[in-house]
Amino acid sequence: MAASCRWSRCTRRRVISLVAGVAAVGVLAVPALAHGGSLGSAGRESVAVPTWLVLLTGGAAVGASFLLASLVTDRSLIAAVESWSRGLIDSGAVLRWGARVVSLLGLVVLAVVLFVASMGPQQPLANLGLLTVWVGWWAGYTMSTYLVGNTWPALNPWRTLSRVLPSLSYSYPERLGVWPATVALLALVWVEVVSPVADQPDFLAGVIIVYTAVTLLGTLVFGTQQWFDSADPVARVFDHYGRVAPFGRDRDTISLQTPGSALADIAPATRSEVAFVIALLWVTTFDGFVSTPAWRSIVDVVPVPLSALYPLALVAGFGLFLAAFYGAARASKRITGTCVTTASLVREFAPSLLAIAAGYHLAHYLGYFISLLPALATVATAPLAPPAEVTLLVAPDWFETVGMLAILVGHFLAIWVAHATAFDIFPGRLQAIRSQYPFIAVMVFYTMTSLWILAQPEVAAP
Amino acid sequence: MRTERLSYDDGSDTAVCEYCGRPFPDDDLLALHRGTRHFEQLPDDQQAAYEAAYADEQESVRLFRLKALGGLILVYFGFLMVYAVV
Repeated sequence: MAASCRWSRCTRRRVISLVAGVAAVGVLAVPALAHGGSLGSAGRESVAVPTWLVLLTGGAAVGASFLLASLVTDRSLIAAVESWSRGLIDSGAVLRWGARVVSLLGLVVLAVVLFVASMGPQQPLANLGLLTVWVGWWAGYTMSTYLVGNTWPALNPWRTLSRVLPSLSYSYPERLGVWPATVALLALVWVEVVSPVADQPDFLAGVIIVYTAVTLLGTLVFGTQQWFDSADPVARVFDHYGRVAPFGRDRDTISLQTPGSALADIAPATRSEVAFVIALLWVTTFDGFVSTPAWRSIVDVVPVPLSALYPLALVAGFGLFLAAFYGAARASKRITGTCVTTASLVREFAPSLLAIAAGYHLAHYLGYFISLLPALATVATAPLAPPAEVTLLVAPDWFETVGMLAILVGHFLAIWVAHATAFDIFPGRLQAIRSQYPFIAVMVFYTMTSLWILAQPEVAAP
Repeated sequence: MRTERLSYDDGSDTAVCEYCGRPFPDDDLLALHRGTRHFEQLPDDQQAAYEAAYADEQESVRLFRLKALGGLILVYFGFLMVYAVV
């Protein structure tokens, strides 16, 4: 499978905006792609397979993997795969000391990021603070949470800070659920898309200071645990991604487990929790969508000011994704004739979507991460006086396939998790398989949407 | 696990499991549920009902598997041909 682009929109948007304003040397892995420092032009290679066929193949791959999963109808086998785990480290002392070291590291990194972003050189590619946040943290570290395991509770510098601060311990209003985190996630993505937070170091420092103030105030009022469990979007994102990962922690034990098996324990999976999962899936899509030609034509046609159109589209797309999933759950209830409520079905099946979200994230950020990693390493050696030229890696041609594969692997995992969930909920084997029809249709819709975005030519977001 | 936190429609009392109180749309599904969740506790007639329901279902599961395999083969060769043409 090949498409007309190398990375996702956001990826290249950021690479391009980062490259602007600083001398960059492209280290070209493929000589044929030698376009000097212009990364944008390297992205538009000739199309080997037409887009419609890429989309159709992606959709069919999801459908075919559902058919494959449906051949496994042995309940004990499914349950055994889901609950398999092997303890690796079983020592409270080791974990506690490890956590302390990691916490200290988190504090140091936050201090360095804040200092360099506000005081250091303001060219994006030369600023260690900006590169650390976008390349090291949002691309690289996030990947580690779903590929390895969630270490954010230990690393999170705000959690470390909040522990030494007093807490008023007001009781958190239960009916709010994780809605504050959901709204905050959408808001953060809105800021990321419309503001210069991705290429202006001092602006980034300002955003971090605002986030720090809000977070510490929140933990002061409601207590550390309550705040990071319900209101903080970043901790929620990493917690959710961490459940896709092959390593998990349960008190004093770190175990190797079936990837995605911890998704079943997102409890109590409330209605707001479902909204958060869908929001996480949608924001990665939205991030790419705003620099497609389609978005540009929408902006040209719709007579709404740009400042209103972005949040409007963000919320509308979220609503569409949410409605599609609720519709699937209602259809599933009709098909199976089950007495389980639609709300319960939505809650039980939504967590499987997190595997898809992780696949999207990898597809969107792997190329970006690899290409800018040398820049991060170079700038880290001299944060306040970085070399005038930094090295960028240009991914080879086949690299676009890795992104597409990540999306498909995410779907395979999601299908398996949903399959195991269905066999846990429904007593009939055929009933369990049939319950998945509408969810698979929705997954095909999500896949084809994100593959379509990956295959669109890059335009700068209006 | 999951089944303990499920909620059910009001007034769904067509076939209710006497061991855990879960409601089901019909007796076959109830029999399958009893067998998969409470097999050790079941009296002989309920064990027999489970085995009968399971055997009944086995036929349709087998048919579904055939269809699924057929579908997979169709998709595989369909795409093989489309890719050969494009």
